[in-house]
Amino acid sequence: MKKRIVSDYILTGFFWASGLFVLLVLAAILMYIIWRGGPSISMEFIFGSPAGYPLGSEGGIWPAIIGTLRLVLLALIFAAIPGLITAIYLSEYGGYSSLARSINLLIQSMMGLPSIVIGLFVYALCVVELRWGISLLAGGVALSIMIFPVIVIFSRDALRAVSNEYRLAGRSMGVADTYTLRRLILPRAAPGILAGILLALGYAAGATAPIMVTAAAIIAGSSGVLLEPVMALPYHLYILFNEHMSLDNAYGTALVLVAMLVFVNALALWLQHIQERTNTR
Amino acid sequence: MKSKREKPFIAGVTTIAVLSSLLLLGMVFFMFRESLPIWSDIGVFQFLTGTTWRPVAAEPIMGIAAMLVSTLWVALGALVIAAPIGFGCAIFMAEFAPRSLAAVIRPVLNMLTGIPSVVYGFLGAAVLVKYFEATFDLASGESLFAASLVLAIMILPFIIANSEAALRAVAPQIRYAGLSLGVSRQYYTVHILVPMARKGMIGALVLGLGRAMGETMAVLMLAGNTLLLPISWFSKGEPLSALIALEIGSATPGTAHYQALFAAGLVLVVLVITVNLMMNTILAGLKR
Repeated sequence: MKKRIVSDYILTGFFWASGLFVLLVLAAILMYIIWRGGPSISMEFIFGSPAGYPLGSEGGIWPAIIGTLRLVLLALIFAAIPGLITAIYLSEYGGYSSLARSINLLIQSMMGLPSIVIGLFVYALCVVELRWGISLLAGGVALSIMIFPVIVIFSRDALRAVSNEYRLAGRSMGVADTYTLRRLILPRAAPGILAGILLALGYAAGATAPIMVTAAAIIAGSSGVLLEPVMALPYHLYILFNEHMSLDNAYGTALVLVAMLVFVNALALWLQHIQERTNTR
Repeated sequence: MKSKREKPFIAGVTTIAVLSSLLLLGMVFFMFRESLPIWSDIGVFQFLTGTTWRPVAAEPIMGIAAMLVSTLWVALGALVIAAPIGFGCAIFMAEFAPRSLAAVIRPVLNMLTGIPSVVYGFLGAAVLVKYFEATFDLASGESLFAASLVLAIMILPFIIANSEAALRAVAPQIRYAGLSLGVSRQYYTVHILVPMARKGMIGALVLGLGRAMGETMAVLMLAGNTLLLPISWFSKGEPLSALIALEIGSATPGTAHYQALFAAGLVLVVLVITVNLMMNTILAGLKR
């Protein structure tokens, strides 16, 4: 009996330790980045252009911030509509048909696709064969392929969470299914869909592998021309560190990137919370 | 009501859904087409088991065994490190944690998945690798082990979230029945709860494995990037994802080197998709 009690204590200790470990890891990561990156942050760092020799060892990261925003926006333009439509098909029309199940499986597999493979594909198709070169457009395409399944899965689940009563009510009132979808179901799924889009945005903003082979340049202006290379925050961080340009600026860049993503993720979590509240009444 | 105007709408929605999900098959086919000369000239077996990678030599020799082994070693290593902590944390959240603490851990896990891999790689390289160098007096601290360690933290949230879901899916009646027999909560957890949730927890691990194999930036910055066959966890290596990222920009389109990188990409995709399908089978078996 004594032995049992001792082993119970050890187990409880282990479970608590692993739970607290996760909290500790996030706290350590955030605090360390803030501690090391904080001193680099200034108006000049955020709104300035890279300077010094080699270029980037001093100065700011504004072109990288703008580049990342442009890439993410482009990815969203390409992926949001098809993603939402696929989600509507899966939740409203597909049912348990074998077609819907196959699409589900394909989307699920796409979610697991390594991001570098997407980069490789877009590199061969867009950069080489279509002769776009390393460009903002190619990067947008790569990121859109990456976030497409994320948008589908979150929108699908948000739509499915809407109570069936609304669909039945629509039917019994004799209105068209499209009307029910537009006026009753989509509004109730909107927070969840928006949360999914935000998560996808954050995912795209942090992705490095797909853009390092399709879009990113060490130094580029912020012209916004679709067929020119762009700077991007995650790639800038990689270069600053890997080419030993400036460790301080690398920590500063990491802090800006992480702060942006934590904000976007927190917003998405809040929207998901709203979605759950509106649909559990 | 299904009016006449609905039909074209449904047809349109279905078409778009089919077309966008066919993208995956299109990608796999495209990569197969690009890499076809490799499979026919070198052969599948030779390409997978060759340990020499000299793509730009006068007579190119291309085998990806070293990278394949690195990919598997790094990913399985990460799994070994992450599994006990991940399961521990999932059990903690499902059974032991006060509700308020679980409500804090859940968003924290979301935040951890939101941190991009380049940041993990950067912190790993700037802090962990430097620490290894200083402590063990190494010339360079990069190794498969360092990559596994950082990958473990990256896949932890996925393992925890999915295992917790599996644990919570166990029917409450079983819990009452177990506890009413007078066994301790710990005994109930180890001998009743976890065995019941076993399949879902294994599924969570497999999902983590798929993620770890496809990861690029963290392994690129931490694994050391040498083309030799790794002989231990503490050797350097260059996983497939890192190989592609490093070489695709400099490979001339149409050359054997370029095609070989697509062959490597295809191998990676097949690995990851196999793992994902495995998970689907495990989860499907669970529902029955």
